[in-house]
Amino acid sequence: MSDAHHHPHHEAGTEQAISPYAHRIRAIEALLLEKGVLTEPEIQDRVSYMESRSPENGARLVARAWVNPEFKARLLSDTKTAALELGIDAAGPVEFVVVENTPEVHNLIVCTLCSCYPRAILGRPPDWYKSFEYRSRAVREPRAVMREFGFEPPDRVEVVIHDSTADVRYMVLPMRPPGTEGLDEENLAALVTRDALIGVNVPRYIGS
Amino acid sequence: MTFEPGNRVRVRTSEKPGHVRTPGYLKGKTGRVESVLGEFPNPEDLAYGLSGRPKRSLYKVSFRQADVWSDYEGPANDRLYADVYEHWLEPDKGETA
Amino acid sequence: MGGSPGGPIDKSQHETEDWECLADAVNIALDIKGLKTTDEHRRAIESLENYRELGYYERWVAATEKLLVEKGILTREEVDERSTEIEGRWGGTR
Repeated sequence: MSDAHHHPHHEAGTEQAISPYAHRIRAIEALLLEKGVLTEPEIQDRVSYMESRSPENGARLVARAWVNPEFKARLLSDTKTAALELGIDAAGPVEFVVVENTPEVHNLIVCTLCSCYPRAILGRPPDWYKSFEYRSRAVREPRAVMREFGFEPPDRVEVVIHDSTADVRYMVLPMRPPGTEGLDEENLAALVTRDALIGVNVPRYIGS
Repeated sequence: MTFEPGNRVRVRTSEKPGHVRTPGYLKGKTGRVESVLGEFPNPEDLAYGLSGRPKRSLYKVSFRQADVWSDYEGPANDRLYADVYEHWLEPDKGETA
Repeated sequence: MGGSPGGPIDKSQHETEDWECLADAVNIALDIKGLKTTDEHRRAIESLENYRELGYYERWVAATEKLLVEKGILTREEVDERSTEIEGRWGGTR
């Protein structure tokens, strides 16, 4: 099954329907390998590439930016190069831009045209990010969308939506939650959720 | 045509068929150039296997949500940014010198 | 798409299946070899008649196949034949 909401749910005990496209992509793979268009290592490289990308990369970048103002400046001005400092390789044809939340501005990322996402850093987007509902509503009613994720900035905070329509991929640098002065980088990174990097929510900290 | 940060621009209402990267909801809307993102091969041509040359300038354009949606429910100053190619923009006629 | 009316956002997450990982990998591998571009991929997806009925990676597979056929790298008949064979061999395995 691909996008969960496109397929009916199945009762326990019945066979789950497999998409016919599963067979098709396996057929395509087999044919491309036989014809020498692609090799096994070339395909495996891409599988490994995506497996090594995850929201944890984004969380580490944010945590470093929170503790190190010079790094933060580099992250905002040249994201790819700054990411490399933490061993995150985002090389490729697309550009990356990190947009910073402030007390006055909250950023939200969407791609209405398809589902562009900073995959080279964060890995695959969540299913909801790719949904028609998110893509259509995030630009039209961002505050209602964020409310569904449990976040509601006050009216005096400006909500800024970035529609990734071209070859730039966006990631949010959320604000550091109050009360976290005593946390180290690793514990700060643990606060940064994927949803906060997209902008539908913010990192939260309940001090002990 | 080239633009500079601060220019008021209007997104063309062209109904060009085929692959375009200018969202429908921005057509006819007026915003302001925030920054110049650089020059890129035209994705509308790349989509059909063409070279996409000559490269086109890409602009980050900001729009007031209230200018995009006539019944926007949030604060009027909420903003939207989209990355729009030069050939989809024209100077906003209402701009004062 | 942007601005169209829409219902509540389903936040459930399905585990990416093997065939979906494969669709992703094959697609990007073809891009890296210069056999197709992201823009062609998007155009191919947008041109799918059953765009709204297909899931995300189903669209990817359909678009990839469309481009490979367009470029004369594979034929639809070859893919049909091999898919049928694979389906017969693997049954419902994902």
